[in-house]
Order: sequence, then structure tokens, then C-alpha cells
Amino acid sequence: MFGLFLAISVSGFMSLLCAQSTPVAEVDTPAIEVKMIQDAEVALPAEFQVALYEDLIQEFQKEGAFREVYRDGDRNAAQSSNVISLFTSVRKFKQGSELERDVTTVAGSTSITVHCQFKAPNGALLLERDIEGKVRLRGDNLKATEDFAKKAAKITPQSLSAEAASSIATVPKASYSPGPGW
Amino acid sequence: MSFQTSRWRLTVIVLFAVLFAASVTPRSIAQQTAVSTDAVQVMGMRGVKNNSKGRLEITEGTLSFKSAKSSATVSVGCIDDVVTGRDSERVLRGPVGTLSMLAPYGGGRALSLMRTKLDTITIKYRDSNGGLHGAIFTLHPGEAEAAKQALLAQGAHTSIPATIGSDSSASPQSEEKEQSR
Repeated sequence: MFGLFLAISVSGFMSLLCAQSTPVAEVDTPAIEVKMIQDAEVALPAEFQVALYEDLIQEFQKEGAFREVYRDGDRNAAQSSNVISLFTSVRKFKQGSELERDVTTVAGSTSITVHCQFKAPNGALLLERDIEGKVRLRGDNLKATEDFAKKAAKITPQSLSAEAASSIATVPKASYSPGPGW
Repeated sequence: MSFQTSRWRLTVIVLFAVLFAASVTPRSIAQQTAVSTDAVQVMGMRGVKNNSKGRLEITEGTLSFKSAKSSATVSVGCIDDVVTGRDSERVLRGPVGTLSMLAPYGGGRALSLMRTKLDTITIKYRDSNGGLHGAIFTLHPGEAEAAKQALLAQGAHTSIPATIGSDSSASPQSEEKEQSR
């Protein structure tokens, strides 16, 4: 009788532990808030700006590396913990021509270089990188934004933590310490 | 006596004119602000697949897009920015367009010269949580400006104000972003 009671209590304790451990693991994986592309010295047509933003969100959701993907200004992001912000600005933009690409095969490529900054909730810079998107042969000009977003979405919490660790090694005063789930 | 009669007549005429104007004006504004046109939703409307054809309607303070399989609605008051542009696309698109590139003697390249012009309209809007969305539509040439006017009349905002009194073919210089794709 005592053995049965012990077994039930131990299994109950274990299930309680498991129930507690799952949300902790979820909270440790960071979420990401994608900010709308910032106005820089390079003028970007409105459709490219929107396409960059929407493609980024779509690709991050598809990759599923982050706990949640929030849009710019989403109130849930402010209430949630461990949310990394992604700031983007255009460094270079060359608008090509689909007609030229079709006719000549070698000319008319569209390319866009976007400066990406991943920032921790306390504002510390985790990763800074220029990522390029191109369309060279087939497809309309907006395919360049899709190409960029696919490359940007390859950045995972693990790669951010590795980058943060290397920056801590080089700069001793780095103020952000990633959680245990990283 | 005759002076009083003419004055009375004048009053009646003015009264009728005012009543006529009051009855006609709201209808004409409503006609101007309501837009219903065929469009392609390139991206951005929640629940609608990218590059889906459908009907774009701007009426009674809402922008709605209905395709054969799905539909989405946005309150015009939530629209932060509306920008129009111009573009062009291949006549032969999709799998047929890809196969046409394999035509012998440069036939595919000649076919790619056949293009149609189109207008684009780009909107930015906020959802109920304050999250920012962007959507891009392509429309028949000359229809984007009318759609923009309709959105602005119903309470949308824009970063590039439209020129008042301009016809649909003459869009503002700042918005002329002809993309010779």
C-alpha cells in the first residue's frame, strides 16, 4: 500500500516537473520582432520596402527558429520576454529590368544590399551584417527581396549566441548574456 | 408689389437649388469614393495567397479583396500609407512563359518583348495588436490613382499627398516609379 502511494506520488512529481520544464524551454528560445525597413540615404520604392518586410516575416516564420515572429509595433512583443529586434536599412539598391534580363540574359539584374542589426532586449547589438538579394535571370524585380529574406532568415538564435559569445571574448564589457536555451 | 413677388420667387428658386444640391452631393461623393476593380494581390493580405487574382473593393470604410478561394478585409482607418506606382509585366507568364523561353531561334526572347502595363498600389496598415502589415496590389493602368483617392476620402493616410484635380492618367511626379521590369 505504501509502495503504491510512493509510486503515485513519484509519478505525480515527475509529471509536474515535466509540465514545468516545457514552458521554461519555450521561454528560453528568443522571439524576434521585425522592424520596418528604416529610411536611409538610399531611396527605396514603396513596393520594395513592403516586400522586404513581408518576405522577412514570412521566411522567419517558415524557418521556425525563433519562438515567435512579431511585426513592427505589435503590443504582444512589448509584453513578451526575450524578444530580439531586427533593424534593417538599405545600403545599396540597383533596380534592373526584367525585360533586359529576358532579352540579353546577362544584363538587367536587380540587386539590393541591406544592413541588418539584431539587437537584444536591452539594446545591445548581437549581430551586424550586410546581406544581399539578387535576381539575375528569371523573375520580376521583387524576387530580389525574396532572395534577401531567405538569406537573412538563415540567422538563428544559435548563430546569434555564437556571435554574442565571440563579441564577449573580444569586448569584455558586452552587457548582454544570452539565456541557457541558446 | 412686383418687387415682393420677384423676391419671393428668388427665395423659392434658391431653396430648390439648395435642396437639389443637398440631395445630389452625397450620392456623387459616394460614387467617387467607392471603387470595385479586378486586381492581383501580390502579397500582404492576411489569409490570401500571394499573387492571387480577385476583386478589390473600397467601400463604406473598408478595403476588401476577394479571390476565388479566400478573402480579406482591412478597415480604411487602419491604413497608415498609400502609394501608387507603375509597372509592366510579361503577357505570357507562369509555366507557359517559362516554356516560351525555350522557343527556337530566339523566339522566346521576342515573346518577352510583349508586355502589358499595369498600376501598383502599396498600402501599409496596422492590425488590432498594432502590428504593421504591408500589401501590394497590381491593377489595370489608370485605376490605382482612383483607388488611392477613394482610400484617402474614406480616412486613409498617405506619405505622398495626391494632386487635387488631376486625372487618373497623370499621377504625381513623386510617385511615378515606372519599373521597366
